[in-house]
Amino acid sequence: MELVDRYLHAVKFWLPRNQKDDIIAELSEDLRSQIEDKESELGHKLTDAEIEPILKRCGSPMAVAGRYLPQQSLIGPALFPIYSVIIRSLFLYFLVPWMLVWMGIAIFSPDFRADHPGAALFASLKPWWLACTYSLFFNTLAFALLDRSQMRSHVVNDWNPRSLPAVRDRNVISRGGTIFELTVVVATLATWIQLDAFRRTFHIFGTTLTLSSRWPFFFWALVVVSLAGIALTCLNLSNPRWTRFTASLRLGIDFYSFALFYWLFRSDMLQSLSASDVSFADASNFVRSFDHWMASSAIWVLIIGAIVVFFDVRRILRVGPTA
Amino acid sequence: MSPSSNTDTQNDDRFENLRQELRRGSLPLAVLAALRTEHYGYTLRKTLADHGMAIDEGTLYPLLRRLETQGLLVSQWREEDKRNKRFYRLSPDGKLILKQLLIEWKSIQESLEDIF
Repeated sequence: MELVDRYLHAVKFWLPRNQKDDIIAELSEDLRSQIEDKESELGHKLTDAEIEPILKRCGSPMAVAGRYLPQQSLIGPALFPIYSVIIRSLFLYFLVPWMLVWMGIAIFSPDFRADHPGAALFASLKPWWLACTYSLFFNTLAFALLDRSQMRSHVVNDWNPRSLPAVRDRNVISRGGTIFELTVVVATLATWIQLDAFRRTFHIFGTTLTLSSRWPFFFWALVVVSLAGIALTCLNLSNPRWTRFTASLRLGIDFYSFALFYWLFRSDMLQSLSASDVSFADASNFVRSFDHWMASSAIWVLIIGAIVVFFDVRRILRVGPTA
Repeated sequence: MSPSSNTDTQNDDRFENLRQELRRGSLPLAVLAALRTEHYGYTLRKTLADHGMAIDEGTLYPLLRRLETQGLLVSQWREEDKRNKRFYRLSPDGKLILKQLLIEWKSIQESLEDIF
């Protein structure tokens, strides 16, 4: 019976203090009755190996004890859906993008890696870990307290079907937004062409700027993207609903635009600068600093582009093949 | 594992879950009805099992405690066969509730038969 005693002792550990002895006495009596019945059936005293299946069938000590305890939860089923939405949003729209940005910088920025050598690279993630820990801790604490307070019934019971948000069709494109986009693209394109921006040399306030030989390619490529953007906005005006085709076109335009800007940012865009009151050395320093700043900012173009493309791909998946 | 045996296993699991859910709901009624006669835990389990309502000790004893806390059962520790055993029986409130539950049970049964 040593095995039974060990089992009962283990169950006892998890039981509420004021019921321990009572519950164990009753459970002990049941187990011993089962064992006696089995012994009469087999005609001999049960061995530990024969007692073991009886105890295993009874359940693990913690599970058995758990059935005597009141059902408890940190955040009950009434509030858990809200908690879950908040935590998921926190991760999806804040912590995961933050991590992706950090990874992007760590992978693509040699300057960042040089400033944070070895373990310091991971130490630079400390604010992220702190944000994760604090946001999880305080959200969980707030919801656990809310679940135990009077406000819980206010949140759960005080609602009105009329105050529920209207059903929003996420595939509908707002006409106002489309008209605004069309206006911006047309105005930018018109200004772009008006300024003869395809030239490589510009004279501004007595300063002569010469841009990289890649500039004219960038200019014409941007014109093509803008025209595609105008075509897309016209399609969206005629049918203000995302379709697989228009959503794919949006993805293509965004991808192409960000790739184009990334390429420009890394192309030593400013080649030379000259002004009557600026020395050649100062002008060269300025050009070098400017191009270095552009090259190191390229990572942000990549990150923002990746986020935009992510949402574009999500839109295509949402629209589905039949839309 | 073939796809058909996989589906069979899934169906078995689903059936088992629903069966247990159905039986769990009717256990308090079965226990109250069985305790019109005094029993201690082990004999109560055997009685229920003999009537096709097998219940493990991990489910029965917490249920007995809950019903006793609700005032539907009364219990008493007594020695029998040189061992201390806790005997349960219906309280006056328990008898009343059992009567009401039996009426409800019959009504559910009739409704289900109508639906079937």
